[in-house]
Amino acid sequence: MPTISNMPDSVIEFTNLIKKFAFQSQKTFKEFLPALIKGEETSKGFIALDEVSFNITKGETVGIIGPNGSGKSTILKLIAGVMSATTGKVKVHGSISPLIELGAGMHPELTGRENIYLNGAILGLKRRQIDAQLQSIIDFSEIAQFIDQPVKHYSSGMYMRLAFAIAVHVDPEILIVDEILAVGDETFQAKCFKRMEEFKQKGVTIIFVSHSLAQVQNFCSRAIYINKSKLIADGTTLEVCNAYLNNQ
Amino acid sequence: MLAIIKETRDIIKWRELLIQMVSREVKARYKQSILGYFWIILNPLAQMLVMSFAFSVIMRIPTNATDNIPYSIFLFVALLPWTLFANSLNSACGSLVGSASLITKVFFPRTILVLSTIMAKIIDFALALSVLVVYMIAYQIPINLNILWAIPIFFIQQIFTLGLSLFFAASNLLYRDIQYLLSLLLILWLYLTPVIYPADMVPERYRIIFQLNPMAVIVNAYRQVILAGNMPNLLSISIALGVSLLCLLLGFTCFKSREKIYADNI
Repeated sequence: MPTISNMPDSVIEFTNLIKKFAFQSQKTFKEFLPALIKGEETSKGFIALDEVSFNITKGETVGIIGPNGSGKSTILKLIAGVMSATTGKVKVHGSISPLIELGAGMHPELTGRENIYLNGAILGLKRRQIDAQLQSIIDFSEIAQFIDQPVKHYSSGMYMRLAFAIAVHVDPEILIVDEILAVGDETFQAKCFKRMEEFKQKGVTIIFVSHSLAQVQNFCSRAIYINKSKLIADGTTLEVCNAYLNNQ
Repeated sequence: MLAIIKETRDIIKWRELLIQMVSREVKARYKQSILGYFWIILNPLAQMLVMSFAFSVIMRIPTNATDNIPYSIFLFVALLPWTLFANSLNSACGSLVGSASLITKVFFPRTILVLSTIMAKIIDFALALSVLVVYMIAYQIPINLNILWAIPIFFIQQIFTLGLSLFFAASNLLYRDIQYLLSLLLILWLYLTPVIYPADMVPERYRIIFQLNPMAVIVNAYRQVILAGNMPNLLSISIALGVSLLCLLLGFTCFKSREKIYADNI
């Protein structure tokens, strides 16, 4: 699909992006030094993304689909700035909130309340913002009576609720969601999707990785299909989902 | 140089995260044990008592220039900052690996991980310092205004610590056994630094090695200003500052140059 770069409202641009992982053949320094001296190979290459290019404009909701190991998460990490391109360019304009894992950085010994501050800070919230929204976060999570218990005592459901409650209170221009909506019971999932719809209305650009074609079709206007490190299809959700199904 | 300025600005932007991470380390330790913060005081205190016994009762190491000071305090004044140095390095070495899940998921300046462990150790140090203060009052050790030199000396120590920490944190991410190498290095380094013995016991021909060891200069300087009430040797301190700044520059460069592949290598 032809891409027009330097579009005024293009918020994410991948241009001929190649991501190659160089896995070290030796895991310890003790192994590395003799290997270096002997002239053995010290790294193995693995191409995670091969010449991927696409352009996402402000306010779009884009789904990324593909089999496991195809490179979807790598794309998200490149957008989030966690990884860097090997060659090619990644341009991102706007603040990002990565929901690549819920509860990143939470410490089991700290209470729910303390973890709200910690996790919020990790997601880029300033202290003032967390203070202002603290009650709203606690209410959304529905675990107010346990909020002052250490999170090591939480069930995984409670943990996830807290983490998601914090995550939905960020105020990003770009939201990246990686398969985390697969957890949680029906009512909570519904609440989360409702919140995501609100983000959509606000004009937040949303990148949504999911294995559930149904979720992608419901929620996204556009989709990108990645398989074995290559971009196979990029277009409306219907077209791309069909391409995916035809490839199975 | 420009990179350091940019990094500092980023860290200030993410200062809330830095504060939260230091807070997390401090709180988590307190909550995890019965002794909690008492352990922070107990550790150096116990070391000091046992080492004093070994090195002043069994083996009699003279304290020379500071003869009027009991060995235990002579030792403690050097042991405390040394323990801070060693603990900071060991802890920083594992800081990137320890936050592996964070590094692969969220973007923030990675230097914050190293900085937060060092800052947490400084807080521990401040607490353990209270023991030293109590000791000095109990033994009525005289001090004068020169003790204020301890502040710039402390800064030099932290610059040196930060430089080395950045280097080791980055290296340990790539080769996971570097932390064991570092542990060993620190144990040996203790003996090459005049902590247990006074600096003037070192034979002339070896003094050059000690001049080049910033920790030797720093530890000796602490003794000078706290126990002897003298000014530190300004030439030595300047050399130590120079070496430390160089270390910081090299360590930072090493850290940043590998930064792009941290998430790849966890």
